[in-house]
Amino acid sequence: MISRYAGIAPKGDLLLIKRLCERFQGKRFLHVNSTREGGGVAEILQRMVPLLAGMGIDARWMVIEGDPFFFEITKKIHNALQGNSEYITEGMWEHYFEVNRRNSSVMDLDAEMVLVHDPQPAPLIEFRKGGHWVWRCHIDVSEPQKVIFDFLSFYARKYESAVFSIPRFAKALGIDEFIIPPSIDPVSEKNRDLTEQEVEETLSRFGIDTDRPILLQVSRFDRFKDPTGVIQAYRMVKKYNDCILVLAGSPATDDPEGERVLSEVREYGKGDPDLHILLLPPSDKDINALQRAADVILQKSLKEGFGLTVSEAMWKGKPIVGGAAGGIPLQIIHGVTGFLVHSVEGAAFRVRQILSDPAMGRAMGSAAKEYVRNNFLITRQMRDYLAVWYFLDQGRGNVLRV
Amino acid sequence: MEGQAPPFDFQQTISILKSTGKKAQNVGELREGIAATSDEAIFHHTYQYFLKGHVLEYTNDFAQWAGETLEETILSEHLSNIDPYSFKSMGEVRKELLRVIDRYLERFPEPRQAMTGEEFYFNESVALIFLEGVRARNLAEFLMAVKYVDPGSIYFHFYEARSRINAETDDFSKWFEEGLGKKELARSVRAIDPFMHSIEGIREIIAELVERELRLDMEEGVA
Repeated sequence: MISRYAGIAPKGDLLLIKRLCERFQGKRFLHVNSTREGGGVAEILQRMVPLLAGMGIDARWMVIEGDPFFFEITKKIHNALQGNSEYITEGMWEHYFEVNRRNSSVMDLDAEMVLVHDPQPAPLIEFRKGGHWVWRCHIDVSEPQKVIFDFLSFYARKYESAVFSIPRFAKALGIDEFIIPPSIDPVSEKNRDLTEQEVEETLSRFGIDTDRPILLQVSRFDRFKDPTGVIQAYRMVKKYNDCILVLAGSPATDDPEGERVLSEVREYGKGDPDLHILLLPPSDKDINALQRAADVILQKSLKEGFGLTVSEAMWKGKPIVGGAAGGIPLQIIHGVTGFLVHSVEGAAFRVRQILSDPAMGRAMGSAAKEYVRNNFLITRQMRDYLAVWYFLDQGRGNVLRV
Repeated sequence: MEGQAPPFDFQQTISILKSTGKKAQNVGELREGIAATSDEAIFHHTYQYFLKGHVLEYTNDFAQWAGETLEETILSEHLSNIDPYSFKSMGEVRKELLRVIDRYLERFPEPRQAMTGEEFYFNESVALIFLEGVRARNLAEFLMAVKYVDPGSIYFHFYEARSRINAETDDFSKWFEEGLGKKELARSVRAIDPFMHSIEGIREIIAELVERELRLDMEEGVA
């Protein structure tokens, strides 16, 4: 299966994966999280676990089970780690631990390497049987509610190592801490190469003209993604360059705030035949086709986690204009792989710059694709997890021969 | 001589980032951080700058942060002028960084604050070194290989080689001189300024120099 990535991922990454998998042949690598479907973590595990198994690792993925109260508590913990004010009672912490204890009694936690994802299953460390245990925190914990983070740290510090997505999210926990950014899968439906026909089919189904440049933002309808700001920027651009704007986002079924934002955006963009608001599932092939058809892709977030949609856009070889928030500055090298902006005016100005100089836009898109190839593909993330395992296994030196 | 030369085995470095959990928000805190951080962190932010593949307007992470984030351009110019390869130990590199920052702070004692989220994060890295599986037995094979090996391999042999104990040069020129007896080619490779090129730029220059040497060899053979 890993052979599908030959010619796509850097060959050094594939070679190191191969070497490390030879070292860990037949050994058990267990991933634990709290959901089988939905969200970026599950999406990557669905693809990474079979890849590891295909390389001779005894890779498993287990999901903890909990009652609605447990998930209510972990949602509060999640929000508090992201800086919201939450109150968690002693009884809630006890229930949080108790659910993990119950899970541990029915789970086979025996493995040479155990990677525990996010706060929900963090207390499982209390039931470690052996092997190396690493806590993988996908959340932005740069400005957490201190008392909640301190409580969670009680478990986190018991792990041998922790992994955060970007340096800003890391905390001084007194254990080895690695920075491993998330990644995209270049052969998945939303990122694989498409034929011109497939792209055209999507455009014609949604009635999007191809006679003018297309601007695109793909994101949930969420205030932090600033969809109305994108419409304002598009209107500023349209005075100079006749263009089309597509806002494509996932339906906000479980988020009342999302519904409100969507109707605001619809109201704000009413009556403009060149503005398309599309509700699409996030893993859809149509998203892929829209990105490939776009001339400039925006991700004008005001607040962001890592913002992997940026890498997805860059992988399509497109110039991108992104808000300087969360993990976006790690993906966009200003002026090289795209432009970082801090305002609606900035976004409009950079889009005009790209539309007025298509050669620069193409060069940026091509640099963007190479940057993603070298830094944000699933093979790099897989390589890094194996490298952390090797580091722990080989006495934790800073220089290791494989 | 080429026939008996020891082969050149291309190796490669891939590094993963390790956080110290420490950060700095202004030049004063950067100074304190540099004074207190590990040798591994100093190594990462100076010697390993070229492994990151970003745009090389500066020559180390400290200079880049001072110039890009704080817009302390004078400091970034001074920091960029530090050549870590000219020092014999990490302690000396650290001392020089502190000397440059102290001199700057004497002139500009009220440095700017970085915005939240744009602080300097002190990191280290873990380097994994492995054989690329590519071997050159002569200059022609070397030319083909150097064009296609991973950037991490060029980094390992051209940059990382200089930071090894008692190493004063890169692996390529060493092999050209000691393995192949190509003193002139070795001299040309050593003359490349390591700070003024990206890894791809270094690859291109070396390939050009080797190709020119091969052409000369062939012309001499015909003559």
